[in-house]
Amino acid sequence: MFVSKKRLSLALPKGKLLEDSVELLERAGVECRQVLGDDRQLTFELPNHHMQIIICRPTDIPTFVEYGAADLGFVGKDTVVEQNKDVAELVDLRFGYCRFVVAMPEDALPPRLSDGSYELRALDRKRVATKFPRVAEQFFSARGMQVTPIKLHGNIELAPKVGLADMIVDIVSTGKTLKMNQLAEVAQIFEATSRLIANRVSYRLKHEDIQVFADQLIHLTGD
Amino acid sequence: MRIAEGLRDLLPGELSFLEEKERGALDLFEAWSYRKVLTTGLEYGECVEPEMPRKGRLYKFFDQEGRVLALRPEFTTPIARLVSSRMRHDALPLRLCYSGDVYRYGSGRYREFRQIGVELIGSTAEMADAEVIALAIEMLRCLGLRDFRISLGHIGVFSDLAVELALEDGLRTDLEDGLAQKDVVRMREVLATCPLPEMAKELLRLLPSLTGGAEVLDRLREFECFDSVRRAAASLRTVFGFLGDFGVQEHVSVDLGILRGFAYYTGTIFEGYIPEVGFPVLEGGRYDRLYEEFGMSTQATGFACNLETLLSLGGQRPSPEADILVCGNAPDRIIRRCRELREAGKKVEMALGPSAYDRLAHDRLVHDLPLHDHRRVEFVE
Repeated sequence: MFVSKKRLSLALPKGKLLEDSVELLERAGVECRQVLGDDRQLTFELPNHHMQIIICRPTDIPTFVEYGAADLGFVGKDTVVEQNKDVAELVDLRFGYCRFVVAMPEDALPPRLSDGSYELRALDRKRVATKFPRVAEQFFSARGMQVTPIKLHGNIELAPKVGLADMIVDIVSTGKTLKMNQLAEVAQIFEATSRLIANRVSYRLKHEDIQVFADQLIHLTGD
Repeated sequence: MRIAEGLRDLLPGELSFLEEKERGALDLFEAWSYRKVLTTGLEYGECVEPEMPRKGRLYKFFDQEGRVLALRPEFTTPIARLVSSRMRHDALPLRLCYSGDVYRYGSGRYREFRQIGVELIGSTAEMADAEVIALAIEMLRCLGLRDFRISLGHIGVFSDLAVELALEDGLRTDLEDGLAQKDVVRMREVLATCPLPEMAKELLRLLPSLTGGAEVLDRLREFECFDSVRRAAASLRTVFGFLGDFGVQEHVSVDLGILRGFAYYTGTIFEGYIPEVGFPVLEGGRYDRLYEEFGMSTQATGFACNLETLLSLGGQRPSPEADILVCGNAPDRIIRRCRELREAGKKVEMALGPSAYDRLAHDRLVHDLPLHDHRRVEFVE
């Protein structure tokens, strides 16, 4: 069982990653099944472990951790990269796998190169709909290209259909949604899984507790 | 009316509190023989750009010739510019201090805040490192803080080791980026596959956990087969010992897990933490290469502290109002009496008219109110 010497607060993502998070924590010796119960309760005390659990929106977790409102957080690498907050990234938790891809309408794909990949040059100066403008911009500018990101908050697949954008940058896990919307992947940007992140001051002031906790997770996730 | 995001006004109580604390810190710096300088509020872009992480965090403007100007984001680089130009021939070491507003574009925190700090220029001695760290601690004490900690590390364990191991550029950049972004996952991945000696990998993996007292320095001994580690450890031992002589060691942890990019710093580095604040309240260290950028071969160390973060923990005090309120029925006599009292060194508030028409003065006289701030009311016939 994990018992922290100094009190630790851990922010967990609401939604589909919560169950994976709780399962991993249980295996690490932190009994916290109760957080799966009432979805209106947002904070949970775990006196046996000297911990507090905070439930928040996945995209808000880096903010809570950056300000030190939570010492630690579980959050997707996709969110970490997009938000670029000043937090320490400690463990690859190996769940919540997804990939960042560039996708285009199946009937408007760019030409293929001899190695089978797509000629991305044709996408220069196009519009890209995405929840992740920073990731999109970085990917294309690293290739010497300029694109116009159009920030949307959901249903990204819709944008090329109605002429809002020429392509999308989004995360996919199975690729089913892309298919259903007659989109095809033209490039992979990177793969992402969930991470344990830490506030930079907590990581120094509560180092011993955080390191024991992180090592336990590293051990369990087979890093 | 709105004010720009991330900025704020200070009311009399807040400002007098800030300035009182600032005065205390500056008096302390003066007692350690640091002299205050003030650099320009606007700098040419290239003068504040050397530090890469600041990219995109500057408030930039064009002057009429189309050159890029930026509001200063910090003082260390502008002071290096100043020293390498107008103070180039001054005797070293130079001890300079500053307190002024800096501007950083970015999310969260303040975008304009009072930064206070010192620069000790022209010495490589460990006594110089110890002096600025001890002074930082005395400053935090002087600001009324008790529960703070200084982490003391050494960037050479990374940067000099990278040179010693003759890391190829790609690997070096990977490790440097991992470090600057505090991405321990990436560093572990890089270390798992790179062709470094086992001993070096072990050390780099262990660094974030090397925190504590003098025992951390003992722990480093097993890695002293690397020259760079031996030099860094020797330097840390000396500095840590001097901090004992300064009487401030109780606040200091040796901490090799300070994760920071090494473009700027070259030797001992340190950070100050307060438990309730999620980011370091004070940062400093040795940056021996900065002056080379300004064509001057000298070494330097120093620290900077965000004064307003510290004060947000402290609250405010009532702004000092007058000692005496002078009222009466004849304006000429009120004015004369006020002049007399001011010449005698009193803080005086003047009733603006015969007491019957000055509500404040009238109420206090008629009701004989005990004034909350102990101001005295004087009535002149």
